[in-house]
Amino acid sequence: MPVDAQFLAELGRIVGPDHLVRDEGELSTYESDGLVSHRSRPRAAVLPETAGQVQAVVRLCRRVGVPFVARGQGTGLSAGALPHPDGVLIVMTRMNRVLDIDIPNQRITVEPGIMNLEVTRRVAPDGYYYAPDPSSQVICSIGGNVAENSGGAHCLKYGFTVHHVVGVEAILPDGEMIHLGGAAVDSPGLDLLGVLVGSEGTLAVVTKVTLRLLRRPESVRTLLAAFDSTDAAGNAVSDVIAAGIIPAAIEMMDRTTIRAAEAAVSPGFPAAEAVLIVELDGPQPEVAARFEQIEAICDRNQGWGVQVARDEAQRGRIWRGRKAAFAAMGRVAPSYYVQDGVIPRSKLPEVLRRIRDLERRSGLTIGNVFHAGDGNLHPLVCYDDAVEGQAELAEEVATEILSYCLDAGGSLTGEHGIGADKACHMPKMFDEADLATMRFLRRAFDPAELCNPDKLLPTPRLCGEVPGPYRAHPVEAAGVAERM
Amino acid sequence: MTEIVGLRDALISQIDGCAAGAVARPGTEADAVDGVVPAIVAEPGSPEAVAAVLGWASDHGRSVVVRGGGTKLGWGPPVDAVDVLLSTRALNAVEAHRHGDLTATVQAGAILADVNAALAAHRQWLPLDAPHGERATIGGIVAANDSGPRRQRHGPPRDLIIGMTLARADGVRAKSGGIVVKNVAGYDLARLLTGSFGCLGVILTATFKLAPAAEASRTVQATLSEARQFAQVAAGLLARGATPTAVELAWPPPTMLLRFESIAAVAVQQAEQAAALVRDGGGGVTVLADADEAAAWRRHEARIFGGGGTIAKLVVLPSDLSATLARLDEAARGLSLDCEVVGRAGLGVLYLRLTGAASAQASLVRGLRGRIPAGRGSVVIRRADRELRSLVDVWGPVGDGLPLMRQVKRRFDPRGILNPGRGPGGL
Repeated sequence: MPVDAQFLAELGRIVGPDHLVRDEGELSTYESDGLVSHRSRPRAAVLPETAGQVQAVVRLCRRVGVPFVARGQGTGLSAGALPHPDGVLIVMTRMNRVLDIDIPNQRITVEPGIMNLEVTRRVAPDGYYYAPDPSSQVICSIGGNVAENSGGAHCLKYGFTVHHVVGVEAILPDGEMIHLGGAAVDSPGLDLLGVLVGSEGTLAVVTKVTLRLLRRPESVRTLLAAFDSTDAAGNAVSDVIAAGIIPAAIEMMDRTTIRAAEAAVSPGFPAAEAVLIVELDGPQPEVAARFEQIEAICDRNQGWGVQVARDEAQRGRIWRGRKAAFAAMGRVAPSYYVQDGVIPRSKLPEVLRRIRDLERRSGLTIGNVFHAGDGNLHPLVCYDDAVEGQAELAEEVATEILSYCLDAGGSLTGEHGIGADKACHMPKMFDEADLATMRFLRRAFDPAELCNPDKLLPTPRLCGEVPGPYRAHPVEAAGVAERM
Repeated sequence: MTEIVGLRDALISQIDGCAAGAVARPGTEADAVDGVVPAIVAEPGSPEAVAAVLGWASDHGRSVVVRGGGTKLGWGPPVDAVDVLLSTRALNAVEAHRHGDLTATVQAGAILADVNAALAAHRQWLPLDAPHGERATIGGIVAANDSGPRRQRHGPPRDLIIGMTLARADGVRAKSGGIVVKNVAGYDLARLLTGSFGCLGVILTATFKLAPAAEASRTVQATLSEARQFAQVAAGLLARGATPTAVELAWPPPTMLLRFESIAAVAVQQAEQAAALVRDGGGGVTVLADADEAAAWRRHEARIFGGGGTIAKLVVLPSDLSATLARLDEAARGLSLDCEVVGRAGLGVLYLRLTGAASAQASLVRGLRGRIPAGRGSVVIRRADRELRSLVDVWGPVGDGLPLMRQVKRRFDPRGILNPGRGPGGL
């Protein structure tokens, strides 16, 4: 049944007429998330203020058979919050309250619309913080972080959103409210929370989240080192891991992204082929000892121009340069395509060489900025919309890079998610049995397939009847896993 | 008996078609699951053979219980009958140790201690110290999401697992995740299977992120004057910026084991700070290293897991720890039960060993459950005789997610052959 006047009137009664958006012009605000190449206008958007309103909207959608998509701040980069053209967009930004702060148990309970950084701001006076720190943490919401299982620069040591969410309240696609986990570390029952985090809004709409807080480490030291090649920087990363050191973060930027960051926020990075940013935290003597080891490793790999942050201001400057890298690409290229792939961290030099060959062959500039410590690459493929065919070429190049990641035993995405953007690539990493097993889970939550449909898993509507050919995952090719 | 022979022959002929084959034989007393002798014991020699056993059982509606080291077979509600006991013991290889990536892929039947002995070649380890590590298998530890004292630092298996291959109830093999430490492609079925107690699928391999072996370790063994001090010591340590890898309590009498692992200077310094903290509170301390330290930790584990009686897991918020222990003490005395406790003071995870009349134990469990608000803790019975398990639900309240858990079970195991009725919430 379609969205008609009566349906819209009911939506308006649930959230209040001021919080129902049906004007075409206003709806265009919501037609994409951070991945603007995918656009679709919903039939209506609602901005609920309570979990009860979310529940009523979902119940209505379910009764009438209308698809619905939840959206936070719309900073996602995989079109995971892309609206359904026949559906309702549930915008969670008004549900942004802190409900409870429990310092003795290191917990905070929030509504999903709250900004990531705001969580840390609220507990900083007590000496605590919320660890996952995606680059967009100033503007991205916790609800979106839960949907995407967001990481960030410091997830190398502290893990992802899934390691920091201990409980949620959520509205299931049939309108039932459930509570998974809680404030305590363990709850009996299947770990549905562990799989709900990172489900890209396809299993439920989260209305309340309890997060784990960490105590600020005793000391933090941040170092920046320059290298004459990305190979040398990549080798330094491998040496750090091999030495048994797990820094809080190891980030790498190449010449193109260094230049962009300089143009945008002038962090004072050296003009080098690559820089590494390494941050250590923990007890002071441990940090000091590890820091010496890391300096020696950089030295051994011909690192130079080492800068050590002497205070919080200098540390902030280094991180500003790193976190500005995506947005700063606009300074050096008219348009760019951000890829998100993962490789085993020991394969960094090999995969970076393949990307450089591709750069030469394609004629497009490819900048690299990435979480080197965990092998999460973010190649930025630069192009000019004004040149005919270049946008398509850039997308092809970005897809080619994904195939390098899979060849190396890696993944289609480390933190941006599959969304609508990569759903049709899923058969390159997972075979039909794997995908069918994932569908078991989806159907258990959402038998009517109304909750953020056409995301995460390939569908005929999205990808055509024949999804891409399956290629043996390198894990299988190496004999690590076989299939029937 | 005729039926068993028929079953066995049918199963054997099925498995014989598989590449690596499997051993199948009638069950004996030695194979008993929770006192019930299985009709057949199958020990597949390959992942294909595991899948074949499941496919056969699914086609014929036969129940399957998976066995690794057999250390958790008595968990869950009482069993009525077991058609096939599927042993993973022949699948025990460390398939890959990618030491440059700090990851490893391990077959389900590999024993934790063996895995860590292999990983030690590159000064790395799978940072799990679940009980019975000399016998417990990776598959069993993951299926139970079991962990030990150093969970304080490294988390439970669900925080370490990055990929899994599994055999579904219908005999189809599937995978989730991969071999890289950061990966959000697709649903994380590895996490779903972790803690599923063998009721959604059979784990074939698990891939984990590893930890570097610590350069040095010290353990402070503390004797406190009263149980109220547990929470004070735990909070005091964390407030001082200490980074313990284990903050354990044992009671009665109130003692603690506080472990520090890092470079030598830090381990020693933090152990000294912790010792000072305990002494200032009027407690006695010994700082342990090397063989003495290892022995203390073995004794600590054996205190609960080496003895008889009922074992229950009690989870509370750290701020509720002292009140909970006081209530436990009072209840145990009132019911004439012997009760020993060890656990994670920093996390609020306690293991109780109870001995005494089953009806009294049931009262104690019900009483504890009644005082814990939803989301703030739980009491799950791990090991108990059949009498206690028939008096009280071993899992306790699972919450309003239970109907959804049943839906998940129904999708993954529509014929209900995997560990039927024994999964969390009685799945």
